[in-house]
Amino acid sequence: MNRIIYWVTGTLLFAAFSLCAHQQKSAISTVFFNPQTKNIEIMHRFRVHDAEHAVKQIFNKNADIIDSKKTQEEFGHYVNQRFNLFDGNGQSMPLKMVGVELDGQFFWVYQETALASISSPLENMTIRHDALRDIWPEQVNTINIEGKGELQTLTFADSVELLTLTFKQ
Amino acid sequence: MFNKLVTIAVLTFAAIGSANAAVNQTKGDFEDKFRQLDESLPTPNVYRNAAGEPGHEYWQQQVDYKIKAKLDEEKRRIDASQIITYHNNSPDTLKYLWMQLDQNKFRNDSMSALTTTFGGIGSRGPATSTASDSKPAQLSLGALRRQQFTNDNVLGYDIQSVKDTNGETLRHTIVGTNMRIDLPVHLKPGKKVEFSIDYAFNIVEEDAVSARSGYEHFPDDERKASDGNNQGNDIFLLAQWFPRLHAYTDYEAWTNKEFIGRGEFTLEFGNYELELTVPADHIVSSTGALQNPQDVLTSTQRKRLKEAEKAERTVFIVTEEEALENEKEGTDKLKTWKFSAENVRDVAWASSRKFMWDARGHQQGGSDQPLVMAMSFYPKEGGDLWKKYSTEAVIQTLEVYSRFSFDYPYPVAQSVNGPVGGMEYPMITFNGPRTKLQDDGSRTYSQAEKRFLIGVVIHEVGHIYFPMIVNSDERQWTWMDEGLNSFLDGVAGREWDPTIPWGVEPRDIVSYMKSSNQVPIMTQSDSVLRLGPNAYTKPAAALNILRETILGRELFDFAFKEYAQRWKYKRPTPSDFFRTMEEASGVDLDWFWRGWFYSTDHVDISLDKISKLRLDTKDPDIDFNRLRQEELDKPMSLTDERNKAEGQELWVERFSDITDFYDKNDRFTVTNKERNKYKKFLKKLKPWEKIAFERAVKEDQNYYVLEFSNKGGLVMPIILELTFADGSVENQYIPAEIWRRTPKAVNKLIITDKGKELVSVTIDPRWETADVDVSNNHYPRQIIPSRIEAYKKKKSKKKVSRDIMQDIKTELKEYSEINIKEDY
Repeated sequence: MNRIIYWVTGTLLFAAFSLCAHQQKSAISTVFFNPQTKNIEIMHRFRVHDAEHAVKQIFNKNADIIDSKKTQEEFGHYVNQRFNLFDGNGQSMPLKMVGVELDGQFFWVYQETALASISSPLENMTIRHDALRDIWPEQVNTINIEGKGELQTLTFADSVELLTLTFKQ
Repeated sequence: MFNKLVTIAVLTFAAIGSANAAVNQTKGDFEDKFRQLDESLPTPNVYRNAAGEPGHEYWQQQVDYKIKAKLDEEKRRIDASQIITYHNNSPDTLKYLWMQLDQNKFRNDSMSALTTTFGGIGSRGPATSTASDSKPAQLSLGALRRQQFTNDNVLGYDIQSVKDTNGETLRHTIVGTNMRIDLPVHLKPGKKVEFSIDYAFNIVEEDAVSARSGYEHFPDDERKASDGNNQGNDIFLLAQWFPRLHAYTDYEAWTNKEFIGRGEFTLEFGNYELELTVPADHIVSSTGALQNPQDVLTSTQRKRLKEAEKAERTVFIVTEEEALENEKEGTDKLKTWKFSAENVRDVAWASSRKFMWDARGHQQGGSDQPLVMAMSFYPKEGGDLWKKYSTEAVIQTLEVYSRFSFDYPYPVAQSVNGPVGGMEYPMITFNGPRTKLQDDGSRTYSQAEKRFLIGVVIHEVGHIYFPMIVNSDERQWTWMDEGLNSFLDGVAGREWDPTIPWGVEPRDIVSYMKSSNQVPIMTQSDSVLRLGPNAYTKPAAALNILRETILGRELFDFAFKEYAQRWKYKRPTPSDFFRTMEEASGVDLDWFWRGWFYSTDHVDISLDKISKLRLDTKDPDIDFNRLRQEELDKPMSLTDERNKAEGQELWVERFSDITDFYDKNDRFTVTNKERNKYKKFLKKLKPWEKIAFERAVKEDQNYYVLEFSNKGGLVMPIILELTFADGSVENQYIPAEIWRRTPKAVNKLIITDKGKELVSVTIDPRWETADVDVSNNHYPRQIIPSRIEAYKKKKSKKKVSRDIMQDIKTELKEYSEINIKEDY
């Protein structure tokens, strides 16, 4: 991580969109600095229609995001491996897998890390979010960062791999 | 007296940008969220009036087509000729006509192809990505396949001739996906011109280029070629398949914007006669009514069709067995299917020997079109999923949409399975969901696929109303058809089965609405960022809120129906929609359109504080007592308390002779001076003031001042749930207009009866306003667990859509057979 792509705000990019609103190939995540739990909580919201097709491509033809607990957990780990937070020194924060949840038309993946585990003061943070972007170049991942200053939005599209945001003190 | 003045805290916000300077002032930070829209909307005129209705001189062009087309199955090619009659109903004289040549989009030198950025996005179809630090540039196999396909095949229109009725060639100039035809005689208002075009094109493979139409090849079908090899079969979906006139409108003249792929179509209504020549064993589904059933259908098929008209359940015109038999071998013979369609803005069709065909008559009554034939065409790959749900969903859609608009005006409504995920044309829709072939040879489908089929059929058939009949300009305003239609498909879906999670819930759009990179809904289609939430979900959620929360169903449904009926077979623009909804409901909605359609604000209303006030009686014998009690209610000084605990004896207690009058009469002691002042006060009151005052004193109600701030910028009604000490709960609806003078913060006084003590207040308890932060919706504040906290409390047990059809075949194992090391 010697060369970080610096972005003041997320770029404005959008996904190829299927007409029937079936596969949108877009996910939205929240990175939430939770003052109650003193954790950074990460909540990824995928559309079931996207995840459903993705798992067949990532794992195998029989993978089933809706029916199989195993697939659901595997997908959670897959996301876990492709999402990282780096502190101001470029140190990767240890993210714990909390769980996965199917809720209506959305599939959620939860991660968290204790704020106490971060050694340096967080003036900026770099995020990597490759989930589904390794199988579909057109996948767009949007992240809202909340609970630390004004809400900021980052968008992972095209070949962007790392995005950095600065927290105003 | 109740004279505590309310001061309004002026909260500082980052300035919220708005295109309209009049909303933001040149001095100070007041934002006029309720500024009327008139100055932003186009000036009403004789074509579109101020009510949002077609004006008294409204006009639109009419274009009639007679098309003869031949499908060459072997070459996957269309050869056609068409005669076009163009009626100039405009007040303008036309020197030339502009036509759309959509097939030219697939040429390697098209603007669409040339402007597809490598690693870029935004266009439809296979994607690429540029190199970055840790990975080389990527070219997906899909992108390679598209590249190879467009290289190997000559794509785009081959325009062979453009001639007038005398057979003279008309000068024509092709500009990308457009063609200008120069008219030798200028076309005066009220006149018409007839000309013909001969053309051909090679059909694209849908899976290779991601188009809205094309062919799909089934290599495993048994049909053999003459050399004995498996030849397989195709499904052909033909759309954007003939040179079509661009619309000429009162607001934009020629809408000849290059077709890049995203923005869809703007078209003219007209009458069509089609002659479609296809292999004799194909079944054809097309826009229009079939004119020659005796030439193309067997007597059995015709009998079944007749029977289907009044059948209670779906009737098969071509059964699965017949379709399976059909797809095993081909024929060299040809048949010509003739269709006729009146007052449509486009025609599309599908052809294959793989199709089974079912139908059921929808007897909707009325005088326009009492009988509509709902029909579905699908291969064995569609299977039971299609048999059960496709035609059924078509009919349900017609029922619900007609209730919100007008009787379905066409003789047929069709759903065809092919390679396109979902696309709509007049009287015909293409829908993608399929069953899955299992190892045991059976076909099953997951519950998700079932929901997808029902959802997509409702959505696409819904599009026959919007924009195929209410003819909005798709190339400019995606939201006008997609937003309205997504809203209505949500309504229809919930009437089908509310347990299926349909879109349009306000809560589903909040993460998009609070994000910082978005554009207003009112943005031209090709420039929209994140089209899905922008043009589908957000407007659908907005309309849902308008219906359920702001206008109520009665007013909304009346106004929406008025919009649909006013613009049936006509061409509405956004201002016509905004004006009609407002004019017909009788409710000023300009603030709503501004907030939801012209801005990127979101909803976040916070309840910051509640103060309880009590009316002073002015009677010193009452008020002074109250003040004394207030003083006593204050906690004792810590120092005094500790002194007492240490057993300190007070000086005044040690020497009784140093006490005096003031030790017996505290500062709240009432004298006649105060009593006289009170009498004087009463005497000075005018009679009406006295009545009001005395009544208020007697009732001694509770006065609560609620302080709200608007953190999201979007003004919305404040919906309150008030909980009282006696356990009762009351709801209050404060219209959005409360924000009109102070859009950033407002206070509201709530008065309750004497015994009715308020204990807590919640804003928007039903989550109906898309408020992005519910943690500030409670007073006293509640700790709202985050999703993760909530998740940790309850491990989800939902089993939404298992493929139970497959799982049910699982054999029950004996106890001894169970392998405890298995994962699940």
